[in-house]
Amino acid sequence: MPARGLKRTVRTFVVEPLKIIASSKAGLAGFIGLLLYISMAVFGPLIVPLDTRPKPEKRYLPPSWEHPLGTDFEGKDIFSQIINGARDVLFVAFMAGTLTVLIATLLGSIAGFKGGLWDSIIMAVDEVLLTIPQFPLLSVLAALVRLNNFTLAAIIGVLSWPALARAIRSQVLSLKERDFIEAARALDLGTRHIVTVEILPNLMPYIVVSWILSMTGAIYSQVGLVFLGFVPFTSHNWGVMINMAWTWGAIYYKTSVWYILSPILAITGFQLSAILFARSLENVFNPRLRG
Amino acid sequence: MSIQRYLSKVYKNFVVRKVIRGIGIIFATSTLTFFIIRLMPSNPIEIFINQMMSAYGMSYQDAKALALALFTIDLDKPLHEQYIEYLVNLLQGNIGRSIAISPGTPVMEVVSTFLPWTLFSVSVSLLASFALGVTLGMIAAYRRGGFFDKVMSAVAAVTSAIPGYLIGILIVVFIGVQFGLINYMRGAYSAGLKPGFTPEFIADVFLHLAAPFATYVLSTFGGWMLSMKASTLSVLGEDYVTVARAKGLPEGRIRSQYVGRNAILPLFTSLTISLGFIFGGSVLIENVFVYRGVGRLLWSSINARDYTVMQAVFLIITVSVIVSNIIADLLYGLIDPRIRVGG
Amino acid sequence: MMAIAAQREPVIIVRNLSVEYLTPRGVVKAVRNVNLEVFKGETLFIVGESGSGKSTLGFALLNLVPQPGYVKEGEVIYRVDGKEVNLMKLPPDEQREFRWKHVSMVFQAALNSLNPVLRVWDQLYDTIKAHDRNISREEAYEKVRNLLSLVRLDADRVLQAYPHQLSGGMRQRVMIAMALLLDPQIVILDEPTTALDLLTQKNIIEVLKNIKSKLHTTMIFITHDLSLAAELADRVAVMYAGKIVELGDVYEIFYRPKHPYTYALMKTVPKLTSVDEELYPIPGSPPDMVNMPPGCKFHPRCPYSAAVCKQVEPPDEWVASGHLVACHLWKVLKHEVRAP
Repeated sequence: MPARGLKRTVRTFVVEPLKIIASSKAGLAGFIGLLLYISMAVFGPLIVPLDTRPKPEKRYLPPSWEHPLGTDFEGKDIFSQIINGARDVLFVAFMAGTLTVLIATLLGSIAGFKGGLWDSIIMAVDEVLLTIPQFPLLSVLAALVRLNNFTLAAIIGVLSWPALARAIRSQVLSLKERDFIEAARALDLGTRHIVTVEILPNLMPYIVVSWILSMTGAIYSQVGLVFLGFVPFTSHNWGVMINMAWTWGAIYYKTSVWYILSPILAITGFQLSAILFARSLENVFNPRLRG
Repeated sequence: MSIQRYLSKVYKNFVVRKVIRGIGIIFATSTLTFFIIRLMPSNPIEIFINQMMSAYGMSYQDAKALALALFTIDLDKPLHEQYIEYLVNLLQGNIGRSIAISPGTPVMEVVSTFLPWTLFSVSVSLLASFALGVTLGMIAAYRRGGFFDKVMSAVAAVTSAIPGYLIGILIVVFIGVQFGLINYMRGAYSAGLKPGFTPEFIADVFLHLAAPFATYVLSTFGGWMLSMKASTLSVLGEDYVTVARAKGLPEGRIRSQYVGRNAILPLFTSLTISLGFIFGGSVLIENVFVYRGVGRLLWSSINARDYTVMQAVFLIITVSVIVSNIIADLLYGLIDPRIRVGG
Repeated sequence: MMAIAAQREPVIIVRNLSVEYLTPRGVVKAVRNVNLEVFKGETLFIVGESGSGKSTLGFALLNLVPQPGYVKEGEVIYRVDGKEVNLMKLPPDEQREFRWKHVSMVFQAALNSLNPVLRVWDQLYDTIKAHDRNISREEAYEKVRNLLSLVRLDADRVLQAYPHQLSGGMRQRVMIAMALLLDPQIVILDEPTTALDLLTQKNIIEVLKNIKSKLHTTMIFITHDLSLAAELADRVAVMYAGKIVELGDVYEIFYRPKHPYTYALMKTVPKLTSVDEELYPIPGSPPDMVNMPPGCKFHPRCPYSAAVCKQVEPPDEWVASGHLVACHLWKVLKHEVRAP
């Protein structure tokens, strides 16, 4: 059934799914997890201010009431670093993911709908980008260009669109031939209208799921780059914590293990929540998979 | 036309097509690399020249001559001539000389000491991970809804969500440090051990491979398992499986020839996609374990601002991905007769 | 073609068979208390709409009802080689052996009925080898070759091919040959001509007639194609909503149908010879197999339904020798389909 109009889109894609997510345990867990992380990123720093003063005497303290996750190599509280570290990571993930989805949808739709030369060019670039391994390319670019959060997100976003674009293109191709598109064309409604009002709402489910998964990919790349030291440290985000813990030998002492474990757990938690939520969304939008 | 001749004719076409595409992408990549180096805001060659001049008091001409020798790019010539020269050099295997890591050494030489280790570790791990994932996936499909299925599917989902290099770090932290095995988690072989085909060295190599291997396998088997499970479930519902059962074929034969062979086909397509990811992952995982592969070399070259090596490693990694893609495509053509033989 | 078998000895006895499917929506009663006897050497047609349960009945005869289906009650008893065998009570190994040797099935010619990655020869050889490990390759090849010529296929061309290289008609003939590999006494054919164009259908029908006359195999056809029944059937069983509503000699069913559904079916088939006859599609649609109406399942669509039809499921009654019907009102209904 072709979906039309904003109100109906909202009802179909927000209210309905929320109801169904509530019925799947995994999906619900993922959803709550994501909410927690988003709150952490947005409100966290206001509630738990970052501990920035080095206190050498408090070096590598084990977890306690005062320091729920212990302290790092300079005696700074780890818990506050985790809470504050979410912002950078989630910000880059969000920007990169959104950029990826926008580019992929645009290019995929054009390639699928217009076909011909547009299609060939876009698919050629797509294939090249898809084959070139993403992380080494990111590393090299990071070496040549001094990156900050914005540029990092931009580059990741620009490099990640090929896979999604392909899928969108094939969806558009199959939708293009269906009756309601023919009807729209017969009514002379124009390409832009057809794509935005008729085709895209049908792709929405897929796009949303891919958006979430793009974000997990962006986190993988971002934390990886920071861990390897290719991105200058701007704040004590999770990737920075892992890098510091690794290079300052935190892994060797039983008491300091929390310095490296906490960011890893934080990242893992987010990835898991995102994937569980995305998978349950998939089940929502693709009823054939259900039951 | 006999079947054999017909087969080889079609097959050759298939191969040729893939190879041409591969070459095209390699060409595009080297072009990309060339222009990135030349057109980046911080032009590495200019930086190098300035560095030579300020740190060593070289004259501009001397520095430029040195740059030419090391980079194989002549700044004087017009851009398109530089490009042609670059390509010609590339085809001859001349990709410049190392600037910083091992100054003056041909990059080819540097890379060739590191590349085999990456190919070794990645291929062994990939084969193991694929085999493990596929086996587990099929079992899970046959025992759908059972204990094995539920537990293993959950494990697979969790391990594939955690970034591979973090799993590597966890292995170092919990197994390396706790059990004192950390020495086996650094390097491709013990320092001071003379490389050679001695049993002692080979054993040492495999001991050092253990941790990176475990990391690769743990982080990737989940994906294969879940894919194979889905694929097997789909095949189990196909008509030809029902027919095979109706005919009274032994379950073992059905499992391998009727279900297994058909279920594994879609995974080969995803194999090509994940190869790029695995090589990319080697950049991270080799650094976690200080493993002597091209991933580690890339890191060292980036840190040392050794642009010639950096450029070459990037190219080599891309070429490796393309070559393995071609191999995977060929394998797929071998296995699926619908591709191999026209209808 | 008055082809009632001279010896009316049953080779299959179906007693009170019920098959259900467990679906998320509820329990689908696909086959409900079916009683049937199949006689040696005859060609029996089980006809009905999609969803009438005929395919399920066919699978049940082999005890191969696919998940989530299961046999709720009843028995399928084979009388072969002088022995009585209750297929469902056999241990799985013996069932596997029994299948294909005594009773086999010809599946629809869909591309998916054959393993796409194995050559035709391999799939045929597999079947022979599975039941007789001692047979030599040459013997097997001979057998296959003979069968392929029986179905009018060129062995050299077909055996080396993969399924996707064969046309629909060729695949169907391979399926037929495959069913005859072990010389079964009974062959069940599930929609053998449905996936094919008319010309190919004609070919297949010729092949089947050939087999019938040469091998005298007992054949059970499951189809919605009435014209096929007209060509090949000795007896016809009409199924509706999981039950056999009428059963009898092919002439009886076609020209003197007693059940309103059978009568309506006959009227939906256009005849080339009739010029002015109207086509009467059956109004309404088949019942929801999860929540079936009470009484006779056909009553919502039946032009004659009376109060009793809405309450009580009609029992089986004999119209004449060999002609069974399940309808409360058959005695009072006067409809005949005119013979040409």
